[in-house]
Amino acid sequence: MPSHADLDRQIEHLMECKPLPEAEVKTLCDQARAILVEEWNVQPVKCPVTVCGDIHGQFYDLIELFRIGGNAPDTNYLFMGDYVDRGYYSVETVTLLVALKVRYRDRITILRGNHESRQITQVYGFYDECLRKYGNANVWKFFTDLFDYLPLTALIESQIFCLHGGLSPSLDTLDNIRALDRIQEVPHEGPMCDLLWSDPDDRCGWGISPRGAGYTFGQDIAAQFNHTNGLTLISRAHQLVMEGYNWCQEKNVVTVFSAPNYCYRCGNMAAILEIGENMDQNFLQFDPAPRQIEPDTTRKTPDYFL
Amino acid sequence: MDSSNLTALPEEETSGSEEQQQDQQPFSAFASVPHRPPTQTSLQKYSPLDWSAYFDGEDDIRIPDTDNVFHVYMAGTEGPVVFCLHGGGYSGLSFALAASKIKEKARVVALDLRGHGKSVTDNDLDLSIETMCNDVLAILRAMYGDSPPAIVLVGHSMGGSVAVHVAAKKSLPSLAGLVVVDVVELMFSLKINKEIECSLKWGSSRNVESARVSIPSTLKYDDSKKCMKFANQSTEISYFRYEGLSDKFLSCPVPKVLLLAGTDRLDSLRWKYLVICPELSQSRKLSALFLDRALTIGQMQGKFQMVVVRHTGHAIQEDVPEEFATLILNFISRNHIGPRGIETDACSSSSKSSRVFCLRDKKFCNLQGFTYVSCVMRWGWASVFKASIPKLRGSLETHALLALLPHI
Repeated sequence: MPSHADLDRQIEHLMECKPLPEAEVKTLCDQARAILVEEWNVQPVKCPVTVCGDIHGQFYDLIELFRIGGNAPDTNYLFMGDYVDRGYYSVETVTLLVALKVRYRDRITILRGNHESRQITQVYGFYDECLRKYGNANVWKFFTDLFDYLPLTALIESQIFCLHGGLSPSLDTLDNIRALDRIQEVPHEGPMCDLLWSDPDDRCGWGISPRGAGYTFGQDIAAQFNHTNGLTLISRAHQLVMEGYNWCQEKNVVTVFSAPNYCYRCGNMAAILEIGENMDQNFLQFDPAPRQIEPDTTRKTPDYFL
Repeated sequence: MDSSNLTALPEEETSGSEEQQQDQQPFSAFASVPHRPPTQTSLQKYSPLDWSAYFDGEDDIRIPDTDNVFHVYMAGTEGPVVFCLHGGGYSGLSFALAASKIKEKARVVALDLRGHGKSVTDNDLDLSIETMCNDVLAILRAMYGDSPPAIVLVGHSMGGSVAVHVAAKKSLPSLAGLVVVDVVELMFSLKINKEIECSLKWGSSRNVESARVSIPSTLKYDDSKKCMKFANQSTEISYFRYEGLSDKFLSCPVPKVLLLAGTDRLDSLRWKYLVICPELSQSRKLSALFLDRALTIGQMQGKFQMVVVRHTGHAIQEDVPEEFATLILNFISRNHIGPRGIETDACSSSSKSSRVFCLRDKKFCNLQGFTYVSCVMRWGWASVFKASIPKLRGSLETHALLALLPHI
C-alpha cells in the first residue's frame, strides 16, 4: 500500500502545477490500476457529489474548479472524462486527478472520455506534451494503459446516470452496459465507442453523428432510456456549451462542460453540477482562472522540426 | 522529471563514446562502400505518366452563352459523384491516383479549374472565389441539367475554399457531403496580422508517382489584384485569407469532414506556421491552437468530423492516395450517400435486440419488437419492400411508426 504521506506530498507538488518524476508516475498508475480494475462499468456513486465535465489540460482552471466547488476530499467529485489534450497542462492535470483517486478512492470518481485513448492523444497533444516534459513516451504509455481501466459510466443513487458522450442504439439497459468488456482501447465503433462519442440532438430517433463516431439521439430515445432504467436524468459532457451547462430534451439530459474559455479562446463559461444530500441540483458557473500562466515555449519545438 | 533525466544520461554517454571510437577510425566505415549503379536512370524514374491509367475518360464541358470550356477527368460508373476541386497550381490530375481507387464505389469527376490544366476561359487570371464558385455551379448544370446525381464536393486547398463557398450557397439540392482537404485559410486565422504576406513553400507532393501525373504549374497570388498569377518556376504561393470561411464551412447543411495534413502530430502544425510565417512561430499562442474560434467551437460541439492524416504533406490526395480514397469512401458509406442522395435502406445496427429503422430526414428510429421492416427512402419517394409488424409495444414506438407512415 502506498503511504499516505507520500501521496499527500505528491498531491501538494502537483497542486503547484509541477509534474512528478517518471518513476513516481509509474508507481501511481500501477496503484490506480489496482483500484480501477475493481470498479464497475456503471460505477455506483453516493450523494452528495459534484459532477464535472471536460477539463482538457487546463490545469489552472481545474484549480479554480476546486476553489469554487471545494477541495477534495472535502467535496466528493465525479469527473466525466476528457482530462487531457488541447490545454497546456495535460500531464499535470491527469496526474493530479489520478493521484487524488489513489489517495481518496471513495471520494472521487473518474470516468473515461473519448480523449482517454491512445489514438486521440497522439493527435491532440497529450503525447507530444509527455514527450516534451519527459523526453520519452513512457509516461504517455503509463497513462494510456491506465485509461483502459477507467469506468465508462457512473450512477448516482440509482437516479442520475453520468457518462462522457451519450447513449448507444446497442444498449437499452444499464445491464447491457454492465456486460461490456471495457478493458481495451476505445474502439472505432460499437457500444463502448458510442457511450464516449454520442450527442443528444433536437431531432427524434437515432442519427448519424457528424463527428464521424457515435450517434445522435433524440428526446424520445433519452426519455425511453430513462424510463426503462428508472432514471431521472442523464448527465454528460463532451460538447462545449457557452454557459457551461445546458438542459436539453425536456430535462432528460444535461450537458456539463468544465473547461472555461476552451482552448484559451472560445469565450465560454464553465460549470459544475452539485448534487446535494437530498439529490437537489445546483449549478456553479465559473470563468477562467484569473492568472493564466502559459508554459515557457522556448524549448517547445522538438528537434525533428528543425 | 529529474530522475528520468538522470537515468537517461548514462545512455547518452555510452553512445557518445561509441562515436569517439568511430572517430578514431574515420575511414573504415566508408572505405568499403560497394559501387551501386542505379537500376533506373532518373529520366526513367521520373518520366511523365499518362492520365488514362487512372481515369476512364476526359471531357470538355462548354458553358452555354460563354467562351468557357472546362476540362474534366472522369472515372467510375456507379454511386454518387465525387466532384474534386484541386488546389492552386495543381490540376484535376492531382486526384488521379485517388480516383483510380474511389471509382470502385463512386463516380469521380476531377475538374481543371479556371486558369489551370486544360481549361480555357475568357479570363484565366480571374481566380476570385466568386468566379470560381460560379464556374463550378455552371459546370454541374452543364453536365447534369436539372436532375443532378448526389454530389460529394471534395476541395483541396484553394479548391477547398471554392467547395465551401459552393456548398454554403445552398443552391445545390443534390449536394450530399463536403470534404475539405488541408485548407490553410481554415487553420490559421485571427492571430495573423492581415498585413503579413504569408508565403508558403511546401513540397507540392511527396509521392513521385502522383507528381508524374500531376505536374503542378506554379501560380502566384497577387494580393493587390486579388488573383493568382503565374510565377517563373518558383514554388512560392502567396495566399490570400478568405474572410469568414470557417462560418461558411459550418453553415453548410450537409455532412462535413475536414482533412488536415499532419506532418507529424497535430502539435506539429507549428511546423506549418514555421513555414508559412517565421514570425508566427515565435508566437506561443500557436502551439496547441490551430483552428480558429468558430471552428474550435464547431468541432467541440460535434458539428463536423476532423481527420488528421499523418505523415503527409499538403496534398494529402497525392501523398497517400489509398488512404485518401478510403477516407472518402468511408465518409460516403457512413453517411449512406447513394447515387441519388442520402440513402436509408437496410441500415443494420450492431444491436442484438433491436432493429434500426431509417427515416427520410437521415434519422433512425430504434423500434423494439418489430420482426422485420425494411424501407428505402430517397429524397421524397419511398418504397417499402416488406413490413411485418407484430404489435406496437408502447407510445414511443407508435410515435416512431407514425413518423414513418407518411413516407411509406
